Amino acid sequence: MREVPVVSTDLDLLKRTELVVTSTGLILRGVALSLGDAGFPTLETRGTTAGGSLGTLLSMNRSARSSLNRNRNRNRNRNRNAAAATNQGGLALEPWQERAALYARERDWVNLPIDLPPAPAQLQAEAIEMLRKQVLLHGPAEAMRRDEIITQSQLELSAYLRPLGIEEVAGYEATVALVYLVVLLCDEIGLRYKNRFNAPRPNNVEPRLRPFLPNPPHSSYPSNHSFQSFAVAFTLSRIIPEHPASSELFLRARRVAENREWAGLHYAADTRAGHDLARMLMPVLEVVCRDQMLAAQKEWI
Amino acid sequence: MIPVAKPMPQGSEIYPEYAALWHLESIGVLDALRDGARPPADAKVSRVAIIDTSVAVNHPCLKGAVNDKLAIDFFSNRLGAFPYLGEALAAPSIPSNLETDIADDLPGSLALLRELIDRLSPGAAAHVNGVAPTTSADFSNHGTAIAGLVGARPAIMQIAPDYQGQDPAEIDVPLPYCGTDPFCELVPISTNFDTDPEALILALLYAEVIDASVILIPRSFPDPFRTLGAIPVDLDLLEAALPARPTARERALWEELAQLLVAVSMRRPIICAAGNFQEVGGIYPANLASDYNGIISVGAVNAKGLVAGYSTSQGITVMAPSNDGETYDRVSVRLDEQDADFPDRRSPAENENGSFSHFEIVSTDVPGRHGYSHGPFSSAEPADGLREFGSYFCRFGGTSAASAIVAGFVSLGVSLGQIPRAGDGGLGVKTWLMSRTVQVDTEENGSFHYLSWNGAVSFPDLKV
Repeated sequence: MREVPVVSTDLDLLKRTELVVTSTGLILRGVALSLGDAGFPTLETRGTTAGGSLGTLLSMNRSARSSLNRNRNRNRNRNRNAAAATNQGGLALEPWQERAALYARERDWVNLPIDLPPAPAQLQAEAIEMLRKQVLLHGPAEAMRRDEIITQSQLELSAYLRPLGIEEVAGYEATVALVYLVVLLCDEIGLRYKNRFNAPRPNNVEPRLRPFLPNPPHSSYPSNHSFQSFAVAFTLSRIIPEHPASSELFLRARRVAENREWAGLHYAADTRAGHDLARMLMPVLEVVCRDQMLAAQKEWI
Repeated sequence: MIPVAKPMPQGSEIYPEYAALWHLESIGVLDALRDGARPPADAKVSRVAIIDTSVAVNHPCLKGAVNDKLAIDFFSNRLGAFPYLGEALAAPSIPSNLETDIADDLPGSLALLRELIDRLSPGAAAHVNGVAPTTSADFSNHGTAIAGLVGARPAIMQIAPDYQGQDPAEIDVPLPYCGTDPFCELVPISTNFDTDPEALILALLYAEVIDASVILIPRSFPDPFRTLGAIPVDLDLLEAALPARPTARERALWEELAQLLVAVSMRRPIICAAGNFQEVGGIYPANLASDYNGIISVGAVNAKGLVAGYSTSQGITVMAPSNDGETYDRVSVRLDEQDADFPDRRSPAENENGSFSHFEIVSTDVPGRHGYSHGPFSSAEPADGLREFGSYFCRFGGTSAASAIVAGFVSLGVSLGQIPRAGDGGLGVKTWLMSRTVQVDTEENGSFHYLSWNGAVSFPDLKV
């Protein structure tokens, strides 16, 4: 822990001085301070001390709960703008700074302790469940899932943006860009782990499985769809835990991941490993993506 | 001459000023602290376990409040990582209540407890398997505000040398802020918002093994079948509506967590935010509160002594100060007449606009350009002092804030040796707490119990 240079924590301070909230910010009252032009440019010496150039700082921050739960004001002033969701939220360029930061701390993420892949006996058992899903997938009850599987075979963000209510709302470009950033970074991290374990795809183990989509050209364990989706859920809920949908993001992430099981592309163990990898990667992601996360957070506070 | 459109009428945004610690004044705690209430010499230090997000522990008002040996993070590390420890656990980091039998009847939780206790052995790694904590101060807004409301201390900081200007006459800057119990010890138990109940069970078990005096849960738990409070919902419908079904293990653990919450609350009070959408009976886990357990649900009251627009007192244990929220629906119209957009809202003649209070709860915030309130500088905070103090505090509110104030209030009772039957566990503490409330009767919101340290309450925004 950094040593904070605090001079005193005496409770008697409460008798002598007081913080007061005004229409424009926070002021300190009750002391005859004479701080001059001491870097606190708007200081007054008449017993009231304004918090430096703080005039508007405190008032900028309305209660997070109210702005998140009852965000009538923000949305009223935002135009519907579907383009925001299609232009990668301003992440048009390669995220070279984040990639550089990621590889500067490669040691912290290249060997995270996810479980080893299941042995053949478990894979055979999981394949039975996948056969069951293969049959059910073609029934009318799973029509929506079939559509989702096709949509989610490409990079598509509705699973994350819709629960937050920002899918077609302008003003959340940094949040959208953050989602793209996390997906991009996790893509290559996931490939490293896939390459290490070199686990076969389900239908290479159980030929009676007929995948709904072609097998991607990389191995099965862990599932990158799962890894990326959960990484997005962990990241977004890290910056806006107050959002009522912060946990719903995890259910949507799981849905995306499980759809890949329904499509015959992944075992349940692949999904679980993707989840675990995302969770353990967060200490790295919150540092590597710090600026983009802060920019996204400011769109909500 | 180019015709200029007539501007839309706007509210004035003129708000009378108020003391940042009005909430402590309202419940009689500030006077007690100013009048010299201090813990007796032999008093046990009250330990408040906060199950929430991470905390910016370097905030000057949290210095001395956070126990950096016991603070733990379950966000990324399954069995918890100690964010402020070096490599291995030594004596101060080993909890005292490892022998607890709290989970003896709950097989899944018992297995987790055994893993946790094993993990808390002397010499164990601070970061099991090398998985680091996710506790960057940058993303610790909620936890920092909550921690400050419970246990912040006043501080005096010096202006950082580079920012002192020419020949400063005075460089000490007082930060006269304090939590409801400035004598307590805070143990942040940070978690994520994943829908796997395992981390929440481990967090609760950890609060048990560190023998917390008070447990604060200013958030909801995403149990798929308990998230709605009093509204009876067909469980089959909830099941069918889920985008992804919980596994059998998760279902079993959610059941156990509900039982574990009640069991732990019989030993130590668990204080929960009741929700910010007028949830009758509260969100989960606040909605477990009953006369027969030590779970305490907390609703919010504004500075006029009325139930906050987003809260309710129905089915709620106790009410505490917080900010207000506008309402604009068929049942209630309570709008902020000073708001810039107010003239565009068309209030009906029958309205409760006069009930709205602009008072908000001020708490500690992540210093600098991050947090709920942002600083004017984009560089990192100076290591050796202040250059402004506005970014060190924020406006906060909701039942989260109210629940943190109640947790601090109960903790103050422990710190000052005022809870005679603390040994009776959560129920005994709840009985004490209810004896430290007054019944407030309102025309608008009926009657409710509001915190009062000394039998009196004040509502500073109430113009009599």
